[in-house]
Amino acid sequence: MSLAAEAFMSQMAAAEPWPENATLYQPLKEDQILLSDCASSLAVQAYLRMCGLPVQVVCRVNAEYMSPSGKIPFIHVGNQVVSELGPIVQFTKAKGHSLSDGLDDVQRAEMKAYMELVNNMLLTAELYIQWCDDATAAEISRPRYSSPYSWPLNKILAYQKQWEVRRKMNAIGWGGKTLEQVYEDVSQCCQALSQRLGTQPYFFNKQPTELDALVFGHLFTILTTRLTSTELAERIKSYSNLLSFCRRIEQTYFEDKRIL
Amino acid sequence: MAAAMELRCWGADWGLPSVHTESLIVLAYTKFSGAKVTVSPVDWTWKTITATIPELLFGDSAVQEPTQILNFLRKQRFNADYELTARQGADTMAYIALLEEKLRPALLHTFWVDAENYSNLTRPWFASRSPFPLNFLVPRRLAGGALSRILLTTGEAPLHRISEVEGKIYSDAKECLNLLSYRLGTANYFFGNSPTSLDAFVFGFLAPLHKASLPSSPLQSHLRQLDNLTSFCDNILSVYFSPPPPIQDTMDANLQKLTQLVNKESNLIEKVLLLSFSLLLHGFMVALGTYRLSCVYGVFSFHARACGH
Repeated sequence: MSLAAEAFMSQMAAAEPWPENATLYQPLKEDQILLSDCASSLAVQAYLRMCGLPVQVVCRVNAEYMSPSGKIPFIHVGNQVVSELGPIVQFTKAKGHSLSDGLDDVQRAEMKAYMELVNNMLLTAELYIQWCDDATAAEISRPRYSSPYSWPLNKILAYQKQWEVRRKMNAIGWGGKTLEQVYEDVSQCCQALSQRLGTQPYFFNKQPTELDALVFGHLFTILTTRLTSTELAERIKSYSNLLSFCRRIEQTYFEDKRIL
Repeated sequence: MAAAMELRCWGADWGLPSVHTESLIVLAYTKFSGAKVTVSPVDWTWKTITATIPELLFGDSAVQEPTQILNFLRKQRFNADYELTARQGADTMAYIALLEEKLRPALLHTFWVDAENYSNLTRPWFASRSPFPLNFLVPRRLAGGALSRILLTTGEAPLHRISEVEGKIYSDAKECLNLLSYRLGTANYFFGNSPTSLDAFVFGFLAPLHKASLPSSPLQSHLRQLDNLTSFCDNILSVYFSPPPPIQDTMDANLQKLTQLVNKESNLIEKVLLLSFSLLLHGFMVALGTYRLSCVYGVFSFHARACGH
């Protein structure tokens, strides 16, 4: 959205406190949602729980089309609709809730850089594995994505989405990569995250930030989602501090409900 | 290590060893790590359209993409990141991802999509550096690739229009420049006193933006306000890429004028050739006796079109 609209939205956001009936929309959990969308949705849920903001999760078949940017998840707060983690973080900041206020400029730069690393590597790898790997696309992604629709719409929508994702992969240079190379990239990304985390409880000392929410969302989803091969989960399991990080956040923020 | 390595990249201009971001990254890294590579610019050859630039040739193998080339050089024991700790290596990956996601779309837009910059600076430069028929193809292909990359990565479906995302990509890029400036602080390089691969990447992204004479660029003016980033670029240029002597500037200007004149002349030669060919064809048809009124009209309109071009 344009800069003027963003400024207007944050002004309107600042006017009202967080309501009780805020809702988060995502596709159907059991049958429809895919790995990448589930990871993004979990990241937003984790972030809102870390801020202490209540939100109800509602599953809708057409969540992707309802979203203003076409991406999952999106939240409906008061009379505003915001999608994706970045804008949601700004939105909550306008309402006065922020996790990264205590960071200085250099730390904030690092945090943003690591968030981009996760988006650039992990999210892209998830999209690649889902849609560019023929086995996974045929067995899991296409059937799941089009499960609510009847023939011929299900075939059309599934292939359209696959074509879109493959175009994007070609544009950013991932089109020529093999699955092995993608797994290798994921390993390197996890190694970088593991080294940054070290032995600390969260990435920036004692308090979680949006980076922790994002990393948790992606890693937890990869670890608990069934794919055609367990290679991806195995690569992450080799970093024990990331595993204990995920477990810690799950126990701290999600103890009242089972996530998946 | 003893075998010669050859690097194919775009040529030099604007006070830089290359005007192309990826080529600059690789060139800077070779200087930082002490690798000896022969630089062969692809200007004025057919490689401008056939080769993926930059490309490192080593014996029989060829490596493309800056990240792959840097990995290859590290395996050949040209490693500028030798002294980094594990955490600094992780930071390097994160900052490179930040540059790719936040800064690259805006740089692509500034050089290839923004109409004023493209028609006044980028297209003439790349067209003048390509051999005859390619000077029409190469800039258009690169511009198309840049536009599709921006739209596919930041465009919001289903509104794939560039005007919707322009504001966002420029504000993201300015924020990215600010973050780099905070991270660099007052140091000469990002990690310690010697440059590393992160410095190569940042230099490759920032130097063209800093040095090119862009007619309209809010991003360039934003960069010029960040003194530590501009002095970072100038420092690397003065230490690792010795500045060209001033007399060569006038020589380059003369060479550029000559090239433009030759291009204009070659257009003229094309017109003359086309006209003479159409006259020959006309004469041929008269000789064959297939001269009819409709033919006359057709040939005359062909003449008119040829002269009008």
